[in-house]
Amino acid sequence: MSEPRPVISIVDDDVSFLAALSRLLRAAGHTVQAFSSAQQFLAQMTDAPGCVIVDLRMEGLSGLDLQAAIAEQAHACPVIFLSAAADIATTVHAMRHGAEDFLTKDAAKEDLLEAIERALARDALQRTQRFRQQQLRDRFAALTAREYEVLQHVVRGQLNKQIAADLGITERTVKLHRTALTTKLRVRSVAELTRLVQEAHIPEHFSSTLPKGQ
Amino acid sequence: MSWVTIIFSMMASACLMLGLICALIWWRQRDAWAYLLFALAAIGTAATAFTDLAMLHAESPVHFSAAVRWSFCANWLMIVALAGFVRVYLRAGRTWLLWTVCGLRTVSLFANFLTGENVNYREITGINQIPFLGESVSTIGEGVVNPWMIVAQLSLWLLLIFVVDASITAWRRGERRMAMLVGGSIVFFLLGATGQAALIVWGHFQWPPTTSLFYAGIIFVMAYEIASETLRATQLARELHTSEQKVELASAAAGVGMWTWDIGNREGWASAKAQGLLGLRNSEHLTEARFMDTVHPDDRDAVKLVIERSMTTDHNELEVEYRVQPRGAETRWVSARGRVERNAAGTPILMRGVLLDISARRRSEIELQRLQGQLAHTSRVSMMGELATAIAHELHQPLGAILRNAEAAELFLEHEPPNLDELRAILADIRADDQRAREVIERLRALLKRRSIEPHALPLGEVLMNVAALTRADAAARCIPVEIDSGLGVPQIMGDGVHLQQVLLNLVLNAMDAIDGAKSRQRLITVRAEYRGGRQVDVMVSDTGPGIPPGDLGLIFEPFFTTKASGMGIGLSVSRTIIEAHGGRLWAQNNATVGATFRFTLPTEDKAAL
Repeated sequence: MSEPRPVISIVDDDVSFLAALSRLLRAAGHTVQAFSSAQQFLAQMTDAPGCVIVDLRMEGLSGLDLQAAIAEQAHACPVIFLSAAADIATTVHAMRHGAEDFLTKDAAKEDLLEAIERALARDALQRTQRFRQQQLRDRFAALTAREYEVLQHVVRGQLNKQIAADLGITERTVKLHRTALTTKLRVRSVAELTRLVQEAHIPEHFSSTLPKGQ
Repeated sequence: MSWVTIIFSMMASACLMLGLICALIWWRQRDAWAYLLFALAAIGTAATAFTDLAMLHAESPVHFSAAVRWSFCANWLMIVALAGFVRVYLRAGRTWLLWTVCGLRTVSLFANFLTGENVNYREITGINQIPFLGESVSTIGEGVVNPWMIVAQLSLWLLLIFVVDASITAWRRGERRMAMLVGGSIVFFLLGATGQAALIVWGHFQWPPTTSLFYAGIIFVMAYEIASETLRATQLARELHTSEQKVELASAAAGVGMWTWDIGNREGWASAKAQGLLGLRNSEHLTEARFMDTVHPDDRDAVKLVIERSMTTDHNELEVEYRVQPRGAETRWVSARGRVERNAAGTPILMRGVLLDISARRRSEIELQRLQGQLAHTSRVSMMGELATAIAHELHQPLGAILRNAEAAELFLEHEPPNLDELRAILADIRADDQRAREVIERLRALLKRRSIEPHALPLGEVLMNVAALTRADAAARCIPVEIDSGLGVPQIMGDGVHLQQVLLNLVLNAMDAIDGAKSRQRLITVRAEYRGGRQVDVMVSDTGPGIPPGDLGLIFEPFFTTKASGMGIGLSVSRTIIEAHGGRLWAQNNATVGATFRFTLPTEDKAAL
């Protein structure tokens, strides 16, 4: 997995502060993109790694509005709020909705840089997790509908005989399906299979989303 | 001494005396022509008395004839002057008739000298001696009647008609007593004189020549009339004096001084009270320079301007409030009001007016202004409290930028070699942000400083921009855009920037509260300046809030009326005071669709330049 360098986006309608902060982060060795409004940021948003630093009070879309818009994205990046002066209610609201951090504009440089490091680390972690989940989902997507039905019964701990009876097929056919799905999912034991299903957050009704096979 | 001599001489001297007195009166008062004409008539009568006396004592027809001839000169003077007197005194009578009388009389005077011995007789051939007042006097015996006599007689009859006509006019005008006395007596005595003359000449009636007796009758009645006129004038003078005293008493009680200014002679008069107010000594001559000396140096130009304006325009009224600086006494405020009086040609001749001490009123006005200033300041400080969070935000922005720039500079300095271009840019930005922070603080300082309203010419746009800067952060936090439209072609206004900012801030913050309080979905505040010609500019602050309950429209400008839990209720009342101190009006109305609009007017710069 070779990710490009993370980009730190700054969204602030105060151009003077925007320039100063961009300059500081660049001096600290980061790659920076500056946006003077939330709309501008949303229009140019990519799924590249990084985090976004948002001014809470802006004309047009506010910081909280932008946070909500980012959260709707599949590849949501961490949001750090910056504010000239903030009240408790706003802070709580922002944190509840998953803000990475909440800093005042004159916060110590170290705090700010640490917050950025944390956000980038979290972004990297979330990206890894998302990558792994995607891989798992790809593996599950290779299963046929019948194999998936068998899988669900296996995970519930049923024996081949019970599965055959439930599905109205022969025990031998059940065995064939089990071999096929363990090969496709690259697992060796039932325990490993169960862990994999949990890790991939496979929902109960997953089968209905799959294409009908055989 | 005979009775005849005594009576005629005394009569003549009495007439002369009356004539002299009236001539003297005319000498002092040149436009009183009636007095001159009366004096001439009286002198003519006196002369007639002497010629009569000469006839009475004539010893021969030649003497008698000479006396008659000269008596016509005296008659001429008497009749012409009398006709003129009637015309002037009654202010009536036909002019052509007057000139006809004078003309015929003059013609008869020529005939008197050119045709025969006199105009009555071509020749007197004999005189008779008849008894009169206990002695023997001469009268016409025999003579040849002169036909030119008709002319003299005609002039007398025409004079009668003239007097009767003039008297009727005066009677109709309502001056009945005067018409009766003047017209009646003249007609009566002239009829007597003319009748007597006719009887003597035509009827050979034996009667001594006593024309002067009839004339004297006229003169005495006229003298009585003129004397009663003088009496009335004296009475008027006394009444005038009494009423002057009353006015003086009333003006003293009211503390009002009175003054007049004679424009032609450039000198003034001031009542005792006015003298006291101006610090003038009792007998001091009031000249222009002395008057200006009493005016406070700072007010002299204004006073001069008001006086000049009252004389040059048709207005005629003058009114000015200024400070007087009596020598060695404290400065006082006075109000001078007056009126310019003009002659028939429209030239100003006199100014007359009153002077009032208004120091106490001025003091209370100043005290009121001070209190209003304090209230305005309190209101401003409390408004600053409402804006505190927003203002902190305004300050944090540049301060935060400065901090970040400084930190960036530190990092850049660690690089080898340091990026000097970047460092220069940083320093320039720090300087700009410092300026920004300073401006925020200056705006606040201006608003928090205690000061009185000092209007001067001011671009309204500047005030609106300051208000926009002060409310920007609050507007962003509350998500209420404030649209500012300084208007096209709006001229400079006369105003005090800080106080106008206070009014606009108050209106904008109220509008935000209204929109927030009602949780309106439409969120917009518009501040608009508008100029529709004339000498005023309109400013409107409209919101999209719930509007003002109709019942509250009349109350919102009352002090301590508030609908807000945390409001003091002085904002709008102070705002209205400020606008009214600028000479404008502030009022509120609900919009047709949504929200309310507060409007106020301000005078344009031109008005003050006038």
